[in-house]
Amino acid sequence: MTYDLTSRMIPFLDLHLVFPLLEFLLIEELYTPVTLLEARYELAKKTNMIDFIEKLDDDLKDAGVIPAGGDLIKRREDILEQLQNAQFEAQKVMDVIENPDVIAALRQDKLQNLQFLKDNYGMTPEMIQTLYTLGQFQYSCGNYGGAADMLYHYRVLSTDDNLNLSALWGKLASEILVGNWEVAYEAIQELKETIDKTHFPSPLHQLEQRTWFIHWSLFVFFNHPKGGDALVDLFFQPAYINTIQTSCPWILRYLTAAVITNRRRKNLLKDLVKVIEHESYQYRDPVTEFVEALYINFDFDLAKQKLIECEKVLEGDFFLVSIQEEFIQNARCFVSETYCRIHQKIDIAELSQTLNMSKEDGEKWIVNLIRDTRVDAKIDYQENTVLMNTNTTSVYQQIIERTKGLSFRSQVLATSIDKREAAQAKAIAHEKNHPSSEAA
Amino acid sequence: MSRFFRAGESDSDDTESDYSDELTNSESEDQSDSDASESESDSDDQQGKKIGRGRFFEGSLSDSDSEDDTVRVVRSAKDKRFEEIEQAVTAMNNGQKINDWVSVQTEFDRANKALQKAVGIIAQTGVPKFYIKAVAELEKTVQSTLDKEKSAAKKMNASNAKALNSMKQKIKKNNRLYEKDIQEYEKDPENYDAEEEEAIEIKPKIKKPKKVVDSDLEEEEGEEVDDGFTPVGAGGKTVEFNQENLFKKLREVVDARGKKNTNREEQVRILERLLVVANTPYQKIRVLLNLISTQFDFAVGLSGYMNISLWKNAEKYLNNLLAILESNNDYIVKENVPEEDDNDKDRLPQNGEAVFIQGSIVAFIDRLDEEFTKSLQNIDPHTTDYVDRLKDEVSLYAVIVRSLAYFNRLDATDAICRTTMRRLEHVYFKPNNVVVAVENAIASLLPADIVKPSEDATSLVHDLCVDLYKNGSSLQRTRAMLCHIYHHALENRFFVARDMFLMSHLQDTIHLADIITQILHNRAMVQLGMCAFRAGMIKEAHSCLQDISGTGRVKELLAQGLSLQRHSTASPDQEKIERQRQFPFHMHINLELLECVYLTCSMLLEIPNIASTAINPENRKKMISKPFRRMLDYNSRQVFSGPPENTRDHIMAASKALANAEWQKSVEWISAIKIWDLIPESRKIKEMLGHKIQEEGLRTYLFSNANYYSSISLESLAKMFDLSLRTTTSIVAKMVWIEELSASIDQVTNIVVLHHLQLTRLQTLALAFAEKAAGFVESNEKLLETKTPQQGERSKKGTNASKEQGPGKQQQQRTMGARGNTRGGRNQFNKGLGNSVRGGRK
Repeated sequence: MTYDLTSRMIPFLDLHLVFPLLEFLLIEELYTPVTLLEARYELAKKTNMIDFIEKLDDDLKDAGVIPAGGDLIKRREDILEQLQNAQFEAQKVMDVIENPDVIAALRQDKLQNLQFLKDNYGMTPEMIQTLYTLGQFQYSCGNYGGAADMLYHYRVLSTDDNLNLSALWGKLASEILVGNWEVAYEAIQELKETIDKTHFPSPLHQLEQRTWFIHWSLFVFFNHPKGGDALVDLFFQPAYINTIQTSCPWILRYLTAAVITNRRRKNLLKDLVKVIEHESYQYRDPVTEFVEALYINFDFDLAKQKLIECEKVLEGDFFLVSIQEEFIQNARCFVSETYCRIHQKIDIAELSQTLNMSKEDGEKWIVNLIRDTRVDAKIDYQENTVLMNTNTTSVYQQIIERTKGLSFRSQVLATSIDKREAAQAKAIAHEKNHPSSEAA
Repeated sequence: MSRFFRAGESDSDDTESDYSDELTNSESEDQSDSDASESESDSDDQQGKKIGRGRFFEGSLSDSDSEDDTVRVVRSAKDKRFEEIEQAVTAMNNGQKINDWVSVQTEFDRANKALQKAVGIIAQTGVPKFYIKAVAELEKTVQSTLDKEKSAAKKMNASNAKALNSMKQKIKKNNRLYEKDIQEYEKDPENYDAEEEEAIEIKPKIKKPKKVVDSDLEEEEGEEVDDGFTPVGAGGKTVEFNQENLFKKLREVVDARGKKNTNREEQVRILERLLVVANTPYQKIRVLLNLISTQFDFAVGLSGYMNISLWKNAEKYLNNLLAILESNNDYIVKENVPEEDDNDKDRLPQNGEAVFIQGSIVAFIDRLDEEFTKSLQNIDPHTTDYVDRLKDEVSLYAVIVRSLAYFNRLDATDAICRTTMRRLEHVYFKPNNVVVAVENAIASLLPADIVKPSEDATSLVHDLCVDLYKNGSSLQRTRAMLCHIYHHALENRFFVARDMFLMSHLQDTIHLADIITQILHNRAMVQLGMCAFRAGMIKEAHSCLQDISGTGRVKELLAQGLSLQRHSTASPDQEKIERQRQFPFHMHINLELLECVYLTCSMLLEIPNIASTAINPENRKKMISKPFRRMLDYNSRQVFSGPPENTRDHIMAASKALANAEWQKSVEWISAIKIWDLIPESRKIKEMLGHKIQEEGLRTYLFSNANYYSSISLESLAKMFDLSLRTTTSIVAKMVWIEELSASIDQVTNIVVLHHLQLTRLQTLALAFAEKAAGFVESNEKLLETKTPQQGERSKKGTNASKEQGPGKQQQQRTMGARGNTRGGRNQFNKGLGNSVRGGRK
């Protein structure tokens, strides 16, 4: 409960994106259902999803709360009418665009396309604008598929940068809500480029955009198969890690989770530890504290405790619940690896306890660990301990390491000297051949 | 008259007539001044008998006689005292006339001695006015003589000059005691005489328990308008001041301003008269504006700062001016007003349009504040004068706040920013309770609608800074930011302060800023370091303090005194500029404490580092704090070192103890340092340091003894350093993890197993050879790089840029202008090289 981030994240999410979060909370029963119902009702009132509002309205009445809503029937009529109008307007454009001749004639250049449409079909920028309006309206009504479609068409045609950006946001949201992760993933990449490239009126503005982006992208990254890598890559970029540090340190939880579940990116752990240490005064939760205990304080007891807490936190987190199992597994791996590196002789019972496992499981775990990783260790069954073989680098190894680069570096040196000589010789020759140019 | 004699002083028939008029005067006054005492007239009387010179008389008359019979019993004693003073004063006057300063000095001392004897009497009656007059005149004469003396072709003889100089010191010091009285006297010295000569009845002054400023003003008016005497001009002619010729006179004064032979005192006198006569707001504003400027016009004497009484006058008039402007919303004083043709007419606001008057209040504020700072720079901070002067800060602060309210009403952004900056600079370095006290104090000085006393320094500083961030120029924003950081650091909010530092990217540009801002930056940085230290973040503290404290030019970098360089190349001009930059004493950061903090941090970082060279000889080059190393070397080279005396010695002793892993001794030495008491909650600091010393002691012990053990029990380590087993394990684990120590922990038996590599002779040689070869290649590379400058430059930039972007980037500071810059450049160069080498090895 204390580690629930929903309330912190809501300010950076779209209305519609909040619904899944709230529904998740309903399942987890962290808050009382009535509060959540009310929250959802409040939210829904601002949208045009009239069916949904009515349903919530009924639910609320069932729960014994009289919702303070306006006249729903009238609103339904209004919305339907507006929708029809918008659809009618947009249909004109759609008819043109869907014409195979037109599709064939369209090029890469947007301006040229616009000119072409205007000349041949009398299409004005205002008409294209209707696509955007319809898309927005449909989104507001909860018809995300349709909205995504409209916004796609709009983006192909429009040249307005500002609205294009909004359309892109809208499209991303629509795809997220439809659950179309592949397309959403692409939208994410596109949006990132746009945000990085666009010149915003102030750095603050850009920071804001990035903060939003980071929050929205969580939906995609934790659902897309390649999301883990992408998340780690993206969030460790200087601009984004700075954004996280400045405006939304709670994202560190997701970053930590992503790094820990990502076995291949172990080298990132160092950076992560640095950031967590740096930000520990601003944000801490069991997930970051686990890393802190393990890699800053080397306190394995504390790490063990935190790991138990992590389990609960992850269970209650909309994004992380799906990777909870993976996280715990990997976290154990990290613990045991660190443990093994520091220790020489380990009691299996003790280690199993540190990892929250029974003795048999622990033994199995260690065997697997020895098999899977490079850890050089043996189990002494009689004493029930693991013996680590210390692998100090031999002197020969050291010398090889030290002298490895020397010949290459010398070579580089020699070539650069040659180059320099040649350049000098050339310059001298040049001067000799053209003494007049100097004089002139 | 008879009453006077009835009292028992049955002498001096001959002088009777001389003071008869005075007696009537005194009698009439008796009715009003009930609390005053009679002593002065008595002493006059005695004086009259002995010396009987009218000229003298004029100066020594007083208006505070009374007829209290009970006091009169002790009269003879008083008479004797005052008589002595009188005599001395007369002799002093004579001495002045003939320019005999030796005698003046002795007489002055005599007068003061007598005065001291008469302390009891003075407590009742107040300081005799003739004395005040004498010393006031004396100061002026001393000043003028000194001025003359400077330009005079023929110098006076040595003893005389010496006496004069010492006289100057004495009188200055002395007069400060009677500042108020002298002021009163100086306000209209003529009045003293005039009053007496013409025997004017002075109406009782009625103290009004109103606002200070207003009552002052009214008092003057009430007094002088009522008595209706005619002041006498310079040439003895009667000068009339009235409504009609006010503007004419004013113009005369304005025109005379800055001319060669203008008598400034005379000008002030005229203006003061005019102020009395003026009764419309417009007239008053005009006169006050000129009056304030005239105060600033007075020549600054040898002291290098504005005369304090003049300063106080200026401040008072400025307050008056602001009061008038506050109560008359239709009059606005501002810069760049189109010149009015008929300057000599009274102007009234017409149909709601405000009257604009040419003048710059913000300039007055600036000047007033600067003069205040100047005086503090020049007064010896260890005297009571300094403290007295510092007390004026409250009223100065009040004027600033008041003018700020005025500018806010006018919505003059530039002036608001300038004044806000001034206000901020009076606040930012003070601890919370002081700020709150000052705020409450000014609340009682100013009308309630202007100030709301701030309850909390943090919010006050925050508000001021936010105003400046929004509206200020870029320089003001930078300075506000630095002040804000300083304040956060002062209030122990390290992370907030650090984040502000990093986010503002100040450090990238600070070396381009002017020197004063750089100094402010240094101050903020030092404060940040101290804050980190208080919070127990030794490493952060060290990196903050490194660039300032490590240079050995701390005084210069913080503008807290001129550093005495042996081969000073600074010209007198430079020195003068530098002197002007100095911060007044009360703003100083305690340098000894700073050094102590820096060295303690260095010790905690450097001692384990030195010990680690036993295991990793490569570390030898890595130096954390050069000054500390130098000191330690020097200390260990000493044949005999006695018990530590000063802070430095203590830290050195503690360092040595720590290096030998005798942590208790080390803690003892460190806690014995007295200066810790200057830090609030010094006990906690000492506890924190004790804890750190235990930890670092453990590390040092492991480093230096690892070679001689094959295993150590964790428990015995814990016991040895009085740490919990858990902490011990975690420290050892960390050392193992970052490969500082080649060891591992045996969990079953709880011992640290240390791994040793026994190298054969051949292997050692091979290693050394590899090392040499690497060094050879490296130096070759360096050589080439220096010969092809552009290439080196480029690679350097590349590595740095990528480094700086890192999230946990260390604060890298620039200190002073170009110098700091080049030095930084060289460091970066080395760093870049180091990187490339390491990269090559991988």
